[in-house]
Amino acid sequence: MNFDAKPFLPFSNVENGLMHWLLVFGSFTGAIFAATILIALGIYGVSGPVAVMSRVRQGLHDFVNSSPKRIWAIAWLTIMEAVRRKALLVFVVFAFLMMFAGWFLDSELRADLQVKNAVSFALTTVSWLTIPVLLLLSCWGLPEDIRVRSIHTVVTKPVRRNEIVMGRILGFASIAAGIVAMMGAIGYVWILRQVPNNASLICRVPVYGTLQFLDREGNATDKGINTGDIWEFRSYIEGGTKASAAYKFPIDAPVDRIKLESRFEAFRTHKGRMGQSVLVRYVLVNSTKDLRVPLDSFEIKEFNLNEHYLERKLSFYDETRMDKRTVDLFDDVVDQNSLTIEVQCLDAGQYLGMARPDFFIRLPDRPFAVGYFKAVLGIWLLTVFIVSTGVTSSTFVKGPVATLLTFSLLIIGQGFREFMIKLITGVQKGGGPIESWYRLVTHMNDTLELPDNIGIKIMQSIDNFMLGGLWLMQHLIPDLSSFVMSPYVANGFDVPWNVAIFRSLAITIGYLVPSLLIGYYSLTLRELEAK
Amino acid sequence: METQSVIQIKNLTKIYRDFWGRKKVRALNSLSLDVKKGEVFGLLGPNGSGKTTTMKLLLGLLFPTEGEITVLGKPASDVSKNEWIGYLPEESYLYRFLNAEETLDFYGRLFDMSPQQRKERSNQLLELVGLQNARKRQLKEYSKGMTRRIGLAQALINNPDLILLDEPTSGLDPLGSRDMKDLIVKLRNEGKTVVMCSHLLADVQDVCDRIAILYAGELKELGRVDDLLKEQHETELLTSKLSAEAVADVEAVLAKHNAKLLRHGHPTNSLEDLFLKTVQKSQERPGQRFVPAASEKS
Repeated sequence: MNFDAKPFLPFSNVENGLMHWLLVFGSFTGAIFAATILIALGIYGVSGPVAVMSRVRQGLHDFVNSSPKRIWAIAWLTIMEAVRRKALLVFVVFAFLMMFAGWFLDSELRADLQVKNAVSFALTTVSWLTIPVLLLLSCWGLPEDIRVRSIHTVVTKPVRRNEIVMGRILGFASIAAGIVAMMGAIGYVWILRQVPNNASLICRVPVYGTLQFLDREGNATDKGINTGDIWEFRSYIEGGTKASAAYKFPIDAPVDRIKLESRFEAFRTHKGRMGQSVLVRYVLVNSTKDLRVPLDSFEIKEFNLNEHYLERKLSFYDETRMDKRTVDLFDDVVDQNSLTIEVQCLDAGQYLGMARPDFFIRLPDRPFAVGYFKAVLGIWLLTVFIVSTGVTSSTFVKGPVATLLTFSLLIIGQGFREFMIKLITGVQKGGGPIESWYRLVTHMNDTLELPDNIGIKIMQSIDNFMLGGLWLMQHLIPDLSSFVMSPYVANGFDVPWNVAIFRSLAITIGYLVPSLLIGYYSLTLRELEAK
Repeated sequence: METQSVIQIKNLTKIYRDFWGRKKVRALNSLSLDVKKGEVFGLLGPNGSGKTTTMKLLLGLLFPTEGEITVLGKPASDVSKNEWIGYLPEESYLYRFLNAEETLDFYGRLFDMSPQQRKERSNQLLELVGLQNARKRQLKEYSKGMTRRIGLAQALINNPDLILLDEPTSGLDPLGSRDMKDLIVKLRNEGKTVVMCSHLLADVQDVCDRIAILYAGELKELGRVDDLLKEQHETELLTSKLSAEAVADVEAVLAKHNAKLLRHGHPTNSLEDLFLKTVQKSQERPGQRFVPAASEKS
């Protein structure tokens, strides 16, 4: 498993999220409004700001009086356009890929890995085929309408400009829904046929906890030991010492037994016991009652799953009382609705690596289709985001530029946002663009101090100014990584509503609102002549 | 009682600018005119005189540089005025992937019409423009004349009070052109106001009550067609066929009244009349053909 389900609790964080959205949206809208008022005042005098206010009032009036029937009429036109222009030929490509994909997927792999590949392939194919089609349709539709002037026959009817933008977005979103649902369903059937006899499609429902590392003296520490692995997803605890990793799981209500599942990695400094794996033990801890319940030690299955059950009644040897004792899991061990489990490595000289999502409580599984179609929903939400951005940008630039703009936003949002944040926060060494260029030209690596002179100070000031722009940008560019839900399904997990779906939905709606406003004013303030 | 104004244009100026805001073309210069309710008003002028620009300014497709426009008592930028307006663009910029029925249904939806209303109105209009048999064909398969007809049908979908027609007869054959002109007259008789711009002068003369002649964005003439065309210094008489002696007698009478016979001969029909008459005959007697005289054969 190579992903971490980041906590996103919509019902507790909704206020923070909304406040942040209002802050960003409000400050940008306010800044644009203030600039418009000042420019209007400068050019037209007092009548300028009056005209601006009148436009704002008109905008409010238009949005309030929008007609759902007209919006649906434009959406219907958009759907017809896509269908008649043969956008649905994408199904032919999809069918072709699905027919022959089986030839190229490795059937010699372990059964669960074959399932993982099949699920990843199906979901990736759906998104890679849908996204380009919708990107092109949404970015080229309106400019083409303006170019051939068909829009003249629409705007000369009682159609408000926001209805055009809303109708277009609704139309493309509906096409995307149709394509994604159809491909998703075909993909699902295809996956069912690809599953080897000795494997099954599963949809685990994990309950993740928080992770706290303890060092070899038993003191709390931010991270475990770095064994030199450049990939820092997992952190390691030293075996045969007091080092441990304490997972704290939330517990809602008592049940008869709890299933635990883990996937740890071992790092060996010696061969250890021949034919045996690293020995690990779970200790249940209730610090309020000063209770420690060690469970039976076990050898971890590396690169595979370790499954354990916690029964309601637990019998163990109490080392402090020097006696065998039985406790109730929920009455005695669970403390303030949370269960703490320390993971210890018992082999001296060996290291056990783990990350937050490596150990979880496994609730009863859901049908595979549930997780799968949630991931399909995630693909659709991403296309809705693309469509709203594409349609909006196509209201003020022509098709090719709108495509480039939307595509850039998609790429940065999915892959480069983290890098931007690293640049802004200074985690990424090497300074801003000019400093980086200077270091490249002068062959100075990023650990060397720059000389202290006026030229360098000017260069760094310009860099800081540019990084300020980047800081603004990172508030505007969305984090689109949450839309990619296929890793959950491919790894046999359910897609969590709070972490993935709600988050993606919130981002989609959060960007839809300003998109509609920009699209509306852009279409209202421009002359619809193809010049 | 003075007739109500449907369109009022005051000192309208339109300057097209380039990307940098520099003046490119002054398309209209201080144009002022009124269009009264129930009249057919023609905007005339050579290419580039500002006819289409005026039309687009009336519809809010372009924004005026200076001046005021009121259409049906509302500013041109007010979308709600379009409830009572029908517009036929110069080229029929319709959605070519739709068929005629779908096209009218779509434009009907934009007026919030119910499905039943849309169906009835579509049937009525398709019959009016003679496209009943082509209702299921996509517009991309239509000829130019058919496209103009469906364009006209979409302009009338809402049964508008004010109809703006940009070059309505362009691309139509003489029959279609005659039908279009008849329809314009019919619309006027129903109390609707029609504004059309054209450079086909005969068409304008046939149907317009009043005209405005534009040149280089400026208004050069405005008034009733009859008044503008009337030659005040000459008198026209039309009689049955006269012999040479009778013509001489007429000249003598005219000389007695200090007038001269300027021209006499047989009046001619217009080519349009001849064409329409021939087509009508052909429809009545399909087998009849024109046989050239022997001298023409050689």
